[in-house]
Amino acid sequence: MNESYKVISSSILFWFSQKKWFVYSIVISIFLLNLSTPVGLTVPAYHSLIILLLVFMLVTFEPIPFPAIALLTLVLQVVLEVAPPDVVASSFMNDAVLFVMGSLMFAIAIVHQGLDIRLAKMIIKIFGKSKRMFLAGLMTISAILSSFLGEHTVIAIMLPIGLSVIKNIDTQKADGKNAVLLTLFSIAYGTIIGSIGTPSGGARNVIMINYLQEFSNVSIDYWKWMKHAYPILMIQLVVAYFVLQFTFPSSLNNIKMRGFKKNIGKTDVKKNINHLFSCLIIVGIVSSWFAFNDIYGLGIIALAGALTFMIFGMISWEEINKNTNWGVILLFAATISLGFQINETGASSWLVLKFNELLATLPSNSMNVSWSIMAVLSGLTANFFTSSATVSLIGPMAIELHPTDISFALSSAIASGFSFLTVISSPTAMIIYSTGLVSTKMFFRVGILMFSISIIILYLMSQFYWVTL
Amino acid sequence: MKILIAIGGREFSKPTLDLGMKIANSFKSSTTIAYVGKKISQFSEKDVSVVHQNLDDRELYRPGIRTLEWAYDFLISKKYIEEKDSNKFDDYLLVDEENSRMKVLLKGQQSDKIDLIMRTGEIIEQLKDEVETNKHDITIIGGSGNKGIHQKLVQFIDSSVFVVKNYSVNKKYKILLPVNDSKGSDMAIETAINFAKSYKLNVEIVSVPEGKKSIEEVEKILKKTKEKFSKNRIQTTTKLIDGSAVNSIVNYAKDNSIVILGVSPKNPIMKYFFGSKPLSIAQKCNCPVLITK
Repeated sequence: MNESYKVISSSILFWFSQKKWFVYSIVISIFLLNLSTPVGLTVPAYHSLIILLLVFMLVTFEPIPFPAIALLTLVLQVVLEVAPPDVVASSFMNDAVLFVMGSLMFAIAIVHQGLDIRLAKMIIKIFGKSKRMFLAGLMTISAILSSFLGEHTVIAIMLPIGLSVIKNIDTQKADGKNAVLLTLFSIAYGTIIGSIGTPSGGARNVIMINYLQEFSNVSIDYWKWMKHAYPILMIQLVVAYFVLQFTFPSSLNNIKMRGFKKNIGKTDVKKNINHLFSCLIIVGIVSSWFAFNDIYGLGIIALAGALTFMIFGMISWEEINKNTNWGVILLFAATISLGFQINETGASSWLVLKFNELLATLPSNSMNVSWSIMAVLSGLTANFFTSSATVSLIGPMAIELHPTDISFALSSAIASGFSFLTVISSPTAMIIYSTGLVSTKMFFRVGILMFSISIIILYLMSQFYWVTL
Repeated sequence: MKILIAIGGREFSKPTLDLGMKIANSFKSSTTIAYVGKKISQFSEKDVSVVHQNLDDRELYRPGIRTLEWAYDFLISKKYIEEKDSNKFDDYLLVDEENSRMKVLLKGQQSDKIDLIMRTGEIIEQLKDEVETNKHDITIIGGSGNKGIHQKLVQFIDSSVFVVKNYSVNKKYKILLPVNDSKGSDMAIETAINFAKSYKLNVEIVSVPEGKKSIEEVEKILKKTKEKFSKNRIQTTTKLIDGSAVNSIVNYAKDNSIVILGVSPKNPIMKYFFGSKPLSIAQKCNCPVLITK
């Protein structure tokens, strides 16, 4: 056989084996485009749903880079006449996108300051009396910080602290292995749970606030979100503590607090000043989110945080540029733009209509049933697709279900934050998984219990607590 | 000759590393020991990278380094590397090279023949890139993992692939060499001669009459192959076995066989969708199998 034919066909096969989901996604989309438009849908609305399906498949299987998926989404919106170029361009950038951009940069700037050393000292001082208290402290501090600063910032700061105390544990023995898992899961669950607490805890929260404002003209400020979400966070923390203690019983004898203290190292005057400044900037930004988010928007304030670190020379642009995930920013911007078109074209109303028709066939059809399906669907989709992208794409449908009742939109955003099942669902889960100490099976086994309990807590709080607000 | 040894979990990689280093030593080849870390979702890749940098700054081992440390200790315990005070694994530098490749530089490392590297991403893509960039001749991988990986390695990697299955240091191995008149078979014969000479292993040459081939023709191939080994003063036995090529060879192979096969001459597209005989043998055999290219 001709050698060059072999080389070429082998290269094409390798490309196919790596990109097969891209080929499948395109073939499915072309097939759907050739079908007749479903009754009740306009052509642009139908096309927007096909793009939605395409994006779901491409983001889930990642056959091409995220920036390529983002650009494809924008190009297809115009080519398939979902919206004119100007409309697509204007929906591409809004406060939610600025927030994603600002919070990623802000996170890098904070992590760069090495605040984990100081934080470790603080945790030891407050919770260092017993090892179990220490783990509870790690979880609580992770949750509180994550609720304001976001998951990616907190996991980057807390993981080195966690890994220091489990550094020399022999994981061949059950007691040691459980101690390692208990420590890692305490940090991971604290961070994940915390991210539902305030709008700045996760991009999905800001995206939902933005959608509510645009589609239903309902405004939710920082404080109002906290009043709804923080009690859920606190109950979840208590539940998670007991779930983890029950799942990973350990004497914790192997955890070496002395080794941990040794690892903390000394700080000098320059560092002290740096840390003081960093704390002032963080406090300033969080206070501004509370006080000025109505005027300036969460995104602009997050950007101001990154800007301040840069102006004072506490981080270079090169460092920010190197570590910022520009692909994710582009992807969020593109999916939010698509979310707007899904709403504008009436595709979300049509989906909700079909959803309600389906519900009508069930023996018991009530608000509770539709709430439950929506919350579980949001949670599950987020676990297999990542949370923020889920909200940006199915958020419009959640609002459309009950446009005047914010409990549906809030529940959808909060349930999307229950990333307990898979490691791809959130940066925290992926970072914990990347340590090589936690397997995907283990994550799912513990997560299924936590996910189910969290949905029940959310349901009870939306039924009995939110109505009192 | 350049050898690439892919390692994963410590308990599974010991036989792979052991056999891989024996081969590398006998051929005096330069060796790269590679650990391929878990593929990170694009959503989190920058976050993971920031956390790993943070772990480096705190002198905490980043994921994967512990496996490479174990591999290093193993090499010292087997005297593939000489241990010196200035050569401790604790004292290492992780050099970030291009294309998700990181090289562990041990300060004071005296041997430039062994490289410890870490890659992150999809395993086939990473190993393919490693082989293409550094022109490795043999890729050695454990046999306990997903069988699909072995198929893709044989299909896409531009080096011979050695799948180390159920290898035991205490067993006395012999080479099982199935032959026919293909180009791939000629390459397998050459490799088998080198292996047998270096290890002083006995060789069993087998052939299965298939298709239109007469028994006389097959016997001729066996005789010709035996002569090649005799010229190199290597002891061989020959055998003609009946049945389908795959099943007969799989049934004939023992626990102490190292099967050496040539790559299939089939069209790559047919191989991808329908597999090939060498690949089926490699998947079904319960012993180490080397597919030469």
